[in-house]
Amino acid sequence: MTDRRMPGQALPLVLGTCAVVIALLFLVYPIGSATLGAFLRNGKPLAIENLTLANFERFLTSGSYQRAFWHSVVTGAASTIVATALSLPMAYAVARAAMPLRSLVLALSVLPLISPPFIGAYAWVILLGNNGIISNLLRDYVGLGLPSIYGPFGVTVALALSYFPYTFLVLQGAMAAVDTSIEEAATIAGASRWRVLRTVTFPMILPSIAAGMLIVFIKAIGDFGVPAILGGEYQVLPTLIYYQIHGFFNLNAAAAIAMVNVALTVLALGALAWINRTRGVATVTGTARRAARPLPAGLRWSAIAYVWLVLLVANLPQLVVVLYSFSERWGDTLLPSVYGLENYRRVMGELGTVVWNTVVLAGAATILCLAFGAVAAHATARGRIYGRWAVDLIIMVPFVLPGLVIGVAYLTAFNEGPLVLTGTAAILILAYFTRRVAFVFRSASAAITQVDRRLEEASTICGADWAMTMRRVVLPLIAPALLAGGILVFATLIGEISVTVLLYSARWKTITIAIYEYLLGNDIAKASALGTVTIVLTLILVAGASRLAGRNMADMFR
Amino acid sequence: MLSVRELTKTFGAPPDRLVAVDRVSLDVNDGEFFTMLGPSGCGKTTTLRMIAGLEQATSGSIMFDGQDYTRVPPQRRNIGMVFQSYALFPHLSVFENVAYGLRPRGVAREEIASRTDEVLRALQLDRYRDRLPATLSGGQQQRVSIARALVYRPSMLLLDEPLANLDAKLRVQMREEIRRIQREFGILSLYVTHDQEEAMAISDRLALFNAGRLVQLGRPRDVYRHPASLFAAEFIGRANLLRAKVLDRAAGAAKVMLPGGGMVAVPRVVALGDAETARVPPDADALLMARPESMKLGPIEGRMPGRILRAQDLGGTNRYIIAAEAALGELTVEAARSAPEYGEGASVGLALNAEECVLFIRPDPR
Ligand SMILES: Nc1ncnc2c1ncn2[C@@H]1O[C@H](COP(=O)(O)OP(=O)(O)O)[C@@H](O)[C@H]1O
Ligand SMILES: [Mg+2]
Repeated sequence: MTDRRMPGQALPLVLGTCAVVIALLFLVYPIGSATLGAFLRNGKPLAIENLTLANFERFLTSGSYQRAFWHSVVTGAASTIVATALSLPMAYAVARAAMPLRSLVLALSVLPLISPPFIGAYAWVILLGNNGIISNLLRDYVGLGLPSIYGPFGVTVALALSYFPYTFLVLQGAMAAVDTSIEEAATIAGASRWRVLRTVTFPMILPSIAAGMLIVFIKAIGDFGVPAILGGEYQVLPTLIYYQIHGFFNLNAAAAIAMVNVALTVLALGALAWINRTRGVATVTGTARRAARPLPAGLRWSAIAYVWLVLLVANLPQLVVVLYSFSERWGDTLLPSVYGLENYRRVMGELGTVVWNTVVLAGAATILCLAFGAVAAHATARGRIYGRWAVDLIIMVPFVLPGLVIGVAYLTAFNEGPLVLTGTAAILILAYFTRRVAFVFRSASAAITQVDRRLEEASTICGADWAMTMRRVVLPLIAPALLAGGILVFATLIGEISVTVLLYSARWKTITIAIYEYLLGNDIAKASALGTVTIVLTLILVAGASRLAGRNMADMFR
Repeated sequence: MLSVRELTKTFGAPPDRLVAVDRVSLDVNDGEFFTMLGPSGCGKTTTLRMIAGLEQATSGSIMFDGQDYTRVPPQRRNIGMVFQSYALFPHLSVFENVAYGLRPRGVAREEIASRTDEVLRALQLDRYRDRLPATLSGGQQQRVSIARALVYRPSMLLLDEPLANLDAKLRVQMREEIRRIQREFGILSLYVTHDQEEAMAISDRLALFNAGRLVQLGRPRDVYRHPASLFAAEFIGRANLLRAKVLDRAAGAAKVMLPGGGMVAVPRVVALGDAETARVPPDADALLMARPESMKLGPIEGRMPGRILRAQDLGGTNRYIIAAEAALGELTVEAARSAPEYGEGASVGLALNAEECVLFIRPDPR
């Protein structure tokens, strides 16, 4: 099926050209521009004599740069280790302990991913901050002082609890796929349960453990919201980028820091690709298999209890935010003493505007993602596309890069020069598109490969042109996948902060920016009200998308 | 009339370039049922898809009624096509599936309904009008896909192994029905199959393909009786091969000696192609091909000796699988019920009706 282009079919060519232009302009050009910018003297135009390594030199000379780098590495690594330690036993329990309410457990396990991490972060302030609920309780009744939540401790805990679902999902999938007859063989050979686990199961899922860890690491070193709220003086690369721009508007320095952040990400990605390529030797056999040997009752119930404990702790931040938003007084007690809607009344004035802005920006970006993602997916799946991998790369790279990096890329690309977009809604919409189009592209690609291409041929033979074939055959068949992908894009954009914080303007303040400003002004009550709106909105949308796609919410994030 | 000239299709770049269809030429007349037959991978589907316009020809031309179709996009060729997998639109009702091709042709709404219903009735599908394809049986789905291809009165109908997904009994039933519908609509039809029996049963004419080439073209019975190559002889029907030594050769006919079987005069002689010459064993210089019904069993005296390996009762006839010194491989002989019967292991004498045989000889060394 190499030759699909026929004379007299202008529309696909026009659409294809549009897609290529959009991809080059908004996916490739900003990243290229930031890369170049990192090697330019601050504020100087692109010219040979302006090329410099000065922006990187600060990593050798400046203490704050070096600290930020090491802080990123340390909190990234520490939160990865904590997340893995939490999810390993949990994955084993869910895969092997005949969990009651298994699909509920899976759905709850992704809640921390669904609600924006920075919202969870300030819940920890509410709980464990200097004047936090738990801190106060401990101080008053136990006489125990906690370490400050601001700094590496808080950042690590919040990141680990926000991102542990990634390791959990990967591990749970791997453990469910392990051929239990191999374990049985070991048991019959006389190995104890623990020995089987250590010598058989664990080695088989080792590649998955590594893969899950790398995903968490990539996410953690790219996160802006959590360190922005819990870091305080403790800076990491994304917050350093933010201050370079907000403090000095030094785009070139920010671009250089972004490059270092990218380098860390790429390093982890390379490792991930390597593991993905070499793994699968022993893990999955794909045949239907029997359930594993049941755990003894005592062990089983401890496993179940453990799983629910982790779920509770990981979802505590979201719960606290919601609870706080409905409380009018929450002093030294475990639960609020007075409930009411006062916090909502206080944000009412602004709520309408910021929700509307968020919906408009996220909605426009979602439509763009749908149009572009569908065309790109169809072209790569069906058309004669040279370098299919290039399309994949162009779409996936911005997806995995930290949001702050995309923000810097957009600032360097569209702040001056031929196309100036700073301060407009367009820059936010396009940057959102850049970060999220992969969701739609992936789900549309998967759906299109499910559609027998003979259907399209049959339509053509019947006399339908390209547009009619798309409208009447392809689109209806991939609509559920497109819709699910679109909702996921929209939902995750509601809580987007890292790109927004660099690109928003007064006219286009989003709900997350409003929350961030309240937090900076120490108005946690108002922040909670808006945070609750965000969490609830996102949750409803993701649940809707998973229903549409007919999958468990957990599978939407695998 | 459909005229295909020197049609060629290659896939891939030079180091592993594959010539899927190699200079195929054929003509199909209006109202004719024409079959492309050949083993799997010989290029039948690719040829059909080029005629449909789904695949662009590397070279060659496709003409229909004097008009050059080679570069016309498929949606403007006014062709009906039936796919092996049916390719019904899973989200559309039977009615909408069938009506599909009427919409791009700008047919008025009432006429769409009346014409679609008419075709549904002709194919006994009116009861399933509002069902989704997935709720129909394989045979019904097949009929829907035929109805969808016929409703806009295409100038030709292309069918790519339409029966391959049906079970054996339904296959026979459906092929009769396809033939009936084709006659009723009087439509030029191009049918692809790898099943020689199917091809024999329904075609007006057939083209036999091998390795991308059209190797023989003609009415089924002519190809069966007068195969132009060993490949054709063996692909269509059963072929018994006997070693022969040529005694005398005159234009188009020959006198040969069979081991232990005496002299036979064969009226039909075919020179083997280069690839097939090697099939002739060194102790012979020709192969005599006899169909199972052209051989007779009788007492041993004065005939070629053979031994019955297996006897199969086919109901109307008896089939014997026989080992004989003269044969290349095993022989298959079919005998009417009225003929004397033999048990397994019995020794028999073999006679043949030379009038119906073909002699394949090595080409003249030159
Ligand atoms: N799109 C394609 N790309 C590469 N090779 C192909 C393609 N389509 C068919 N072929 C090859 O061309 C040859 C003929 O295929 P096909 O026409 O499908 O055979 P048939 O229908 O007779 O079984 C086969 O070797 C097949 O592998
Ligand atoms: Mg085929």
